[in-house]
Amino acid sequence: MTPFAVWLDRISGVTTTTAVWGLFLSGAVIYFIVEWRLRVLALFAQYLFIGVLFTRVFVDRPEMSLLKVLVGWLVCGALFLSVRIRQTAGERPHFHWAADLPFRILSLVMMTVVAYLASQRYTLPFVPQDLALGCILLAVFALLFIGVEEDAGVVGVGVLNLLAALDLFYSAQDPGLVVTGMLIMVNLLVGLAISYLTVAEVRT
Amino acid sequence: MTIAGPLFVLGVPLAVAAVLQILRRWTIISVFLAALTAAGMGVLLTLLPLGGVWTFRGLTVELARPLVVMGRVVQIEAADIFVLRYIFFTAAALFLLAWRFLPHSNFFPVGLAAAALFSGAFMVEQVVYTALLVVMGAILTVFPLHESGGAAKGGLRYLVYTVLALPGLMVTQLLLDLFMVFPNDQGLLNTATVLPGVSFAILFGAVPFQSWLSAVSSDGSPPVVTYLFTVNTGTVWFLLLAYFRNYPWLSQQAAFGTLFTTLGLVMMVTGGVLAAAQQRLGRLVGYATLVDNGAMLLALGTGRMEGLALAALLLLARPFSLGLMTLGLQGLRQLTGGLDDHLALEGAAFRAPWSTMAFLVGGIALAGFPLSLGFAARWGLYRITAMTNFANAMVALGSAAAVMLGIVISMRVLLTRPVARPASEAPPPASAPILKEDRLVVVLIVALLLVTLALGFFPRVASNLAVEMAQWYTFFP
Repeated sequence: MTPFAVWLDRISGVTTTTAVWGLFLSGAVIYFIVEWRLRVLALFAQYLFIGVLFTRVFVDRPEMSLLKVLVGWLVCGALFLSVRIRQTAGERPHFHWAADLPFRILSLVMMTVVAYLASQRYTLPFVPQDLALGCILLAVFALLFIGVEEDAGVVGVGVLNLLAALDLFYSAQDPGLVVTGMLIMVNLLVGLAISYLTVAEVRT
Repeated sequence: MTIAGPLFVLGVPLAVAAVLQILRRWTIISVFLAALTAAGMGVLLTLLPLGGVWTFRGLTVELARPLVVMGRVVQIEAADIFVLRYIFFTAAALFLLAWRFLPHSNFFPVGLAAAALFSGAFMVEQVVYTALLVVMGAILTVFPLHESGGAAKGGLRYLVYTVLALPGLMVTQLLLDLFMVFPNDQGLLNTATVLPGVSFAILFGAVPFQSWLSAVSSDGSPPVVTYLFTVNTGTVWFLLLAYFRNYPWLSQQAAFGTLFTTLGLVMMVTGGVLAAAQQRLGRLVGYATLVDNGAMLLALGTGRMEGLALAALLLLARPFSLGLMTLGLQGLRQLTGGLDDHLALEGAAFRAPWSTMAFLVGGIALAGFPLSLGFAARWGLYRITAMTNFANAMVALGSAAAVMLGIVISMRVLLTRPVARPASEAPPPASAPILKEDRLVVVLIVALLLVTLALGFFPRVASNLAVEMAQWYTFFP
């Protein structure tokens, strides 16, 4: 067995439930903590968990899951570079919780309950229940990031989460190469656009 | 060597866009190469019949020949020709208009690539790929939007809304496929109707999703905003028509007319009221466009072929009116160092008369008042609406009048002799003001003014084209 295959085998060994918990925790870090290095690190971890969920979709082609993870990490890299540029333009990095932390905790708890109940009550066609929870949770994070934040980077992470949810859902129905490839292109474009907008905000 | 039409129409602009990205330093080369490529595509699609063959030094292009990519067919159909022409000709004109305003800009390569992707969207058969290509093109246009300064909120909001529209468009096909398997499940059909409806509403900036329109026009670069409001919105419009052509049962639903009429009127009233209250010229452009989008949906709501032709005429008129507004707005912003609020622009007409005239005439044309092509289209719309509901026609006319009020208020501000104010009262400019109007821009303004007036006097040229365009969408009696 090649090291690559061993690595993939280990990744697919992680259960879907664990991956969904991972998604939740990494999303919560991005939502609660206002420190960009931690946020990018959490996004990095989030893409790993998304990759694990994709191994359930691309059962016969695990390399596709790896591709999704790599694309996500590329986007993380681009975002990290943009944040570095922003920091050199004057913003000093320091750890602190979000100013409206109680509201964020409450909204996340409520939305997570809604996501859980929705995954129990409604069945997404061709999507197993645990994977559906992952999908809905990603969509919930997307809504929270887009609705609550004003920072281009975090709103962008919300957009990326929405795309990941759509990607998971759609790939379960049609795991074709063309759609997968085009969704990867959309992810990369969104990642680049967000990185650009993050820097453009500073320039002005 | 024989090349399939779709490969040529997609491949050449994309290849030239890649070259332009390298040549960005030389603005004049970028502008003319981008404009020539786009215009060349438009000319080729105009002159060459669909079944025709174009040969150039051993290279043969067969327009109707399908291209098969991994089992998916990409093909130019007769109905697509008008759309592709609209996309390429409008893009070519906007590249020329942006020439003096966007030096070393990304707009030229990105605009060309986006035009190629939008054309590709109409050549693929499956809705999923169409949706993905449209979204890719739309995301690309975010890149040059904030090059000339200003907050990046508009681009971010446009990006968010565009991606929010994607799931609805992608999932519809799945639901319809499922409906084929379970024909008794009416829920699938209902969802397949609602989801794309919401997606199109988002992409059109329909109320309550209109915030991206004003955000983009308020802090985006005017030439790019015009591209977005003409090429991108035009693509979405034709995509909507293609939906109705592919799924004719959608347009035969009882609520179709009421839905589009109500939505169109709500958009027109909201846009009109907000336009009349605006203190910033950029936002005024956004809300005037919202009213124009509403007018197009109102025309669609008539459920008649004439309505479709009027909507097409409104779309054809838009590049001229918005182009003029763009030239004017950018000139005025340069004068004040990037600001476009009433306070900063007091008396600007005396320092930049041509830019002022361009903005005002463009605004009048976009509001649908004479003498402009927009007037011919709007007048036809009011008449056709009044035939079924007089009150609706009056509401639509009132909304247009509200936009006109916004333009008149701006005109008063621009024509007011400036009063000397203390330095502390004036907002700081975003960039160094440019005190003189560019001669080449003045030439472009005069040319566009003449074309706008000529089309206002002789609208038949464009209306014939609009009727021809509408005839390809046969879902209405």
